[in-house]
Amino acid sequence: MSAAGPANITEATRSGRVWLGMMEDVVPLDDAYLERLRRRDPEALRSIVDGQGRRLYRAARGMGFSKSEAEDLVQDVFVTFIESIERFEGRAQVGTWLFGILHHKSQERWRTVVREELNDPVDQVFESQFDARGSWIRPPAAPDQHVGAREAADAIRDCVDGLSPLQREVFQLRQVEELSAADVSKIVGQTITHIGVLLHRARTKLRSCLEGKGWGRSR
Amino acid sequence: MMTCKDVSTLVSTGGLSDAPLVRRLAVRLHLAMCRHCRAFRRQVEAVARSARAAAAALEVEPLHDFESNIVERLRQ
Ligand SMILES: [Zn+2]
Repeated sequence: MSAAGPANITEATRSGRVWLGMMEDVVPLDDAYLERLRRRDPEALRSIVDGQGRRLYRAARGMGFSKSEAEDLVQDVFVTFIESIERFEGRAQVGTWLFGILHHKSQERWRTVVREELNDPVDQVFESQFDARGSWIRPPAAPDQHVGAREAADAIRDCVDGLSPLQREVFQLRQVEELSAADVSKIVGQTITHIGVLLHRARTKLRSCLEGKGWGRSR
Repeated sequence: MMTCKDVSTLVSTGGLSDAPLVRRLAVRLHLAMCRHCRAFRRQVEAVARSARAAAAALEVEPLHDFESNIVERLRQ
């Protein structure tokens, strides 16, 4: 329906309502707008870059790329998007599609197809918290309410380095970008079940790393 | 009966929203009764919150010409 389509997104932008990345995850791009992108209409290009650029940059940085690498990467993502726009044809949400391109580009940069090990030692860390009946042996402490946002952000920046690239990417997409398991599954080409495993491993590693920094320790 | 391990695994994998209603209700009931699993869930939420706080600092990094540069490149 064009009522919710990008023509109105442009209007919304003009009328001063902010057009943010989250929005077009639910609004598929209509044909007229795709055609404008295909023709490289400056206003159409500007609106998609404004809507998605910083979100992609944030994700690339979160995945471990440096500032300049992340800027390059995001440019490449948009170039590929515009070049391959015929294949897009409104069949996916544009946010998901762009993150999918980002995923492929990042794998190219790492010169590796990132695979996840069938077993990760961290699974044992999680298991060891429970007894044979599945009850807590070492109950988790409620997180410290007094840890400031900045302090917490600093702590987590160190801890994400301990994740595998795929765990890091899945954590970023699920927890920061708040995409669904189904969307992340399409983006990284893993089953939904495996997305759950990857998120679980990332969270277990992060909790354990943060605990090592004295986070959430009961007093 | 769901064990603490069942509940915290489901919370941690993020599979709760896709779980059948009966299972979701069982998790909710368990969480209402079990402070350890509630603490676990709060830890998981706190990790996500701090990751989002860290990310908020990242998205303001690019300079104001970040978007213009991309549009320039796309028009070439
Ligand atoms: Zn419990």
